[in-house]
Amino acid sequence: MTDRPLVRMTGIGKRFGGVHACRDIDLTVTAGEVHALLGENGAGKSTLINVLSGVITEHDGTIEVDGESVSFAGPADAQRAGIATIHQELDLVAGLSIAENMFLGREPRTRLGTVDIRRMRRQAEAHLRTLGADLDPRRLVGSLRVGEQQLVEIGRALSLRARVLIMDEPTAALADAEVERLFATITELRRAGVGIVYISHRMAEIELIADRVTVLRNGTVAGTVDPRAASRDDIIQLMVGRSVDALFGEGRNEPGDVLLDVRGLAVTPRRPVPGRTEPAGVDLTVRSGEIVGLAGLMGAGRTELLETLFGAGGSGRRAGQVTIGDRPYRPGGPRAALARGVAFVPEDRRGAGLMLEHSVADNVVLSALSSLTTLGLVRRPLVRRTVAEQLTTLAVKAASPSIPVATLSGGNQQKIVFAKQLLMRPRLLLLDEPTRGVDIGAKAEIYHLLHRLADSGMAILLASSELPELLSLCDRVVVLHRGRTVAVLPRASATQQAILAAANGDDVKESR
Amino acid sequence: MNPPNPTTVAASPPETPPRRRAIRLPKDRHAIVDNFFRFQSLFGLVAVFLIAIAVSPSRNGENVFLSSGNLANIVRAVSEIGIIAVGMTFVILIGGIDLSVGAVLGLAAVGSATLMVDSGLGIVPTVLIVLFIGTAFGATQGAIVARLGIQSFIVTLAGLQAARGIARMWSGGLGIPIAYGEGPQEAPEAFSLLSGSINGVLPVPALIFLAIGVGALLVLRSTAFARHVYAIGGNEKAARLSGVPVRRVRVTVFAISGLLAALAGIIHAGQLNQGSPNDGAGYELDAIAAVVIGGTSLAGGSGSMGGTIAGALLLGILNNILALNNIDANVQLVVKGLVIVAAAALQRLRPRIA
Repeated sequence: MTDRPLVRMTGIGKRFGGVHACRDIDLTVTAGEVHALLGENGAGKSTLINVLSGVITEHDGTIEVDGESVSFAGPADAQRAGIATIHQELDLVAGLSIAENMFLGREPRTRLGTVDIRRMRRQAEAHLRTLGADLDPRRLVGSLRVGEQQLVEIGRALSLRARVLIMDEPTAALADAEVERLFATITELRRAGVGIVYISHRMAEIELIADRVTVLRNGTVAGTVDPRAASRDDIIQLMVGRSVDALFGEGRNEPGDVLLDVRGLAVTPRRPVPGRTEPAGVDLTVRSGEIVGLAGLMGAGRTELLETLFGAGGSGRRAGQVTIGDRPYRPGGPRAALARGVAFVPEDRRGAGLMLEHSVADNVVLSALSSLTTLGLVRRPLVRRTVAEQLTTLAVKAASPSIPVATLSGGNQQKIVFAKQLLMRPRLLLLDEPTRGVDIGAKAEIYHLLHRLADSGMAILLASSELPELLSLCDRVVVLHRGRTVAVLPRASATQQAILAAANGDDVKESR
Repeated sequence: MNPPNPTTVAASPPETPPRRRAIRLPKDRHAIVDNFFRFQSLFGLVAVFLIAIAVSPSRNGENVFLSSGNLANIVRAVSEIGIIAVGMTFVILIGGIDLSVGAVLGLAAVGSATLMVDSGLGIVPTVLIVLFIGTAFGATQGAIVARLGIQSFIVTLAGLQAARGIARMWSGGLGIPIAYGEGPQEAPEAFSLLSGSINGVLPVPALIFLAIGVGALLVLRSTAFARHVYAIGGNEKAARLSGVPVRRVRVTVFAISGLLAALAGIIHAGQLNQGSPNDGAGYELDAIAAVVIGGTSLAGGSGSMGGTIAGALLLGILNNILALNNIDANVQLVVKGLVIVAAAALQRLRPRIA
């Protein structure tokens, strides 16, 4: 790591309108290092990455690659210079095969000018092997799991002879086993002399694989530290600018009566969808004022259960009983669910939670429109007041209610989804990975919010892949395995080990 | 505007000024640029209007284009396409398309003629029946799109064929002339009002277009239904999960499109004094063009009714001024094509959020 840097960025700055997205940032990446980039949402990480990957072409400061000053006219330029990016949302074509995706746009040709399919496959296979991935290059990318798709992206970067790899929250959508494989791949790449810029919100990961950590705050470098020397608290303090001691509130109220009672819930789908695990025997209760966690491995059916409870799951025959309050509950759809006081914050907030191009205000009031209208006409002043109130209560940072949601940071976007659902004054709140892709500051705020909501008597059912989150937030943790309830652990006896053991079920080897 | 909530450390910036009716001036360059693109078609309309004045031939020292007779011709010519385009805007806003409107117009024209001339019905029952047919036709297409999840392009392409077929069967494949009078085989005199003008200046069809346009403008601006329309076009899944009645809105939107196409068909029959099954061929494309020029995104979720109305007028003026200058009709088509591309290209320049 002593050799000269592969990339040296000096004095990088970028303004959007009057706002500095980043200012005077220096960053170097040397061969074979994993350089972690940390910072709350809106700290300037994405902007910096977009500058380095050639997406943003007009900026202050200079970029040197191998000691030579470069300026990128577009992402293609950056790629030619050996800088490849693995975006959070993968840029793959689902309908094409692995090999076709890897060589998209630069397919090897035969002498006749047709695509040399065999050579393409052979090379794809070689790259996959380097990555330790045992995949048939003829398989369609759409049939792969997210972790495998990511490997295809990395393989494509390798085929481009990338020497700097930017990874934007690569583990956000991965199951634990896949994370391990990714880390093995990163170790392999590092040994091959690739420099990696690694963005993540997960401190544990960064401690595990990063050689250096650069922390951004408010668009400037707050500090560059050695993760082995600095403590986790030091790093968080750099990020937030203050110490975060009480992430999780204490002293909760006693829960009230049982609000949601699920007994033997099972759904036999009319047309089974590969990759979906419908409920196959779920028992659980949530009392009002209680936060109940939903744990399980990827594919255990957590999302499917929440969707079923919200009336948004796949169609099929239902068995078992669900009651809310004292009345049986069988929602015909989200609309009916909302009418019964059930609200849902989906996992994929960009795809299923928000109208990204639409304004903050439009998004906030969408569900509650009927209560803000007279004779079908929207009452604007009332809407304005309602939106302003919601934004204040949830401490959303937005320049104005009329700007598009897409311009907000991830944490603030998530708060908008919350605001929309909370306007419906639900009795039961279903949450699917509510803090995914949300920075640590916003996370703390969301935790506080959940406590406040529970204390006000709301029943909360929360699915999460982050065990520490479940353990610290929940009164009880329900563990699912292949769509069935396999354990209900009260707060006192819930430990990571206990949850994991239950989540893995009886048979150790997961077949899929 | 309201007292800050005491429970939070308010991090949100101050609200926009409390004065309600004050005209809000753009705060920065971004807002100005954004507004330019938002009202692009209006600027385009003004520009085309000014150009038309400039290049218009003059007769006896009078600008032909600006003569009241010519302006009346323009709005009359525009009104049918305009009314259809209003319905089309709703459909495109939810991310759909309705290719059947031209054929439904033909069906409605045939229906109007047949019901009055052959069946001897009065104006009111005729109009109600024809409007009902159009609405039902649109609603059926909407239901197929919503229930079976087939793309609206395909469903309405099929609908186009079906509507033409029905119109031909109904009329025996021939145009049905409408004669006015009291006797049998004659339509009530009042129907010919559709080809008349108010005070000899404002053509009746244009007045109807104006009413429909203003009505749709208000609907789109201030109803919950419109918010739902935009939401579905913006992100259908999120809309559904937010409790928007997606299917119902979808059926309604296609029903509106069918209803307005039928209305345009009645006007068409009234203006031409006949109903032919081939009426309105290709109108769907002109209507789509008007919507596109109006800045509505074919992807759905963004656009405005004002833009569509301006887009329809712009196309009308363009046709008119080219004709006034004796430019070949085929050249007119090419020019129309160029304008559509230019309008769409201008939308691409609109600054997007990363």
